[in-house]
Amino acid sequence: MSGTAQRSEKTATGLGWLPWTTLALSIAGVAVASYLTYEHFMAGSTLACPDTGVVNCVKVTTSEYSRLFGIPVALLGLAFFVGMTALSLPPVWRMSSPWPSRLRLAAVLVGVVFVCYLIWAELFRIDAICLWCTVVHALTLVLFALVLIRQALDPEGG
Amino acid sequence: MSRRVEQKAQARERIAAQLAAQQRAERRRRLLLAVGAVMVVVVIVGGLVAVRLAGGGKKTTTAPSGAADAQIMTALTSIPDSTFATVGTDGVQAAPSAITAPALTAGGRPKVLYIGAEFCPYCAAERWPVTVALSRFGTFSNLGTTHSSGNDVFPNTPTLSFHGATFTSQYLTFTGVETTTNEQVNGQYKPLDTPSPEDQKTFDTYNQPPYVKSGGSIPFVDLGGKFVSSGATYSPQVLAGKTQAQVADALKDPSSPIAKAVIASANVYTAAICGITNNQPAKVCSTDAVTRAAAKLGKS
Repeated sequence: MSGTAQRSEKTATGLGWLPWTTLALSIAGVAVASYLTYEHFMAGSTLACPDTGVVNCVKVTTSEYSRLFGIPVALLGLAFFVGMTALSLPPVWRMSSPWPSRLRLAAVLVGVVFVCYLIWAELFRIDAICLWCTVVHALTLVLFALVLIRQALDPEGG
Repeated sequence: MSRRVEQKAQARERIAAQLAAQQRAERRRRLLLAVGAVMVVVVIVGGLVAVRLAGGGKKTTTAPSGAADAQIMTALTSIPDSTFATVGTDGVQAAPSAITAPALTAGGRPKVLYIGAEFCPYCAAERWPVTVALSRFGTFSNLGTTHSSGNDVFPNTPTLSFHGATFTSQYLTFTGVETTTNEQVNGQYKPLDTPSPEDQKTFDTYNQPPYVKSGGSIPFVDLGGKFVSSGATYSPQVLAGKTQAQVADALKDPSSPIAKAVIASANVYTAAICGITNNQPAKVCSTDAVTRAAAKLGKS
């Protein structure tokens, strides 16, 4: 079956569950990252999270690792999820151009590397875990898996 | 003839089957690669958690505690006028406010009272400009170094400590009170300095609206009964991850974020102090930076 025929079939029968799941996770990521960004600029004063012991969102969101090159990491996370939401919209999945899938792949690769860095910082430098950040990390890891598997199953359409 | 056609059809079918098998194998290979990559990430994250749980690789990022060394003291007391002028006051988010109250004095000289605690990150931020400003009017000895609590906002903010420090000046007196350490025992920070009854009364009276925005916050600074400040004048975030020596060193560069925050705040404190020393010494109080900073002082 040719690529064109596959594309026609994909359009006719729908995208399947994976792209829709990617869109839903990206929107959830936008919501959580927006909250963290808001809290970053409010000095974490209303974070719904314990502030003593190992789980301590404020300690994480006000630490030196809450910024990268002066940019709040919460804002970088928000930009990531907004970008992923745009790239996960059904019309973008249906595009015949290879660029959306390449961008998705590049974004989740960068995202997952950044998540590993932030987990390292939480565990070994800040000595505290932020619940909301962990939600963001989990969403990014699942997005990474979904995008990679989709890319493997449909390398041309991604 | 028909046998030849049949052979060709069989060959086509064989090729088609081979192609389909190749495609399936390729698809399986790609899927394995993808699943492998996901597994690698899961193993990395799991490994980080396992190492941490096993107690390995932990590094404390707290700045050292002890006496402020000569390098820090020199950096704090040798900031040129040009740096104060270049920085100005743009970096401050708040400034001491003028109040109407009886003069706060000690030994016939105006008194600056600071009340804070070593665990408090906002106190950690504020000690830097208070020290820089006061050092233009006199000399500190036995200043300590410490950091804010690791379990509060802006954890481990590097700072100085007024506990045990003395300040000598011909223009004013200074009392620095650190009510607790940064160490917790049974959920409470260990007590350190106890304010005198007079200082406690000043705190209770003037660390309340309308003199300050919100009552009871620390750090509280009363400058001669003419100005009060409650809370930090800039964000402790600026100091995150630095040692005291790095903070002091950054004050040499007027373009550094630390200098922009600390020196701008020191300018408004200097202006307030000039307001209680009758603008003495003139070589400090008549500088452009200080006269411009005076305009930034608030009204309560």
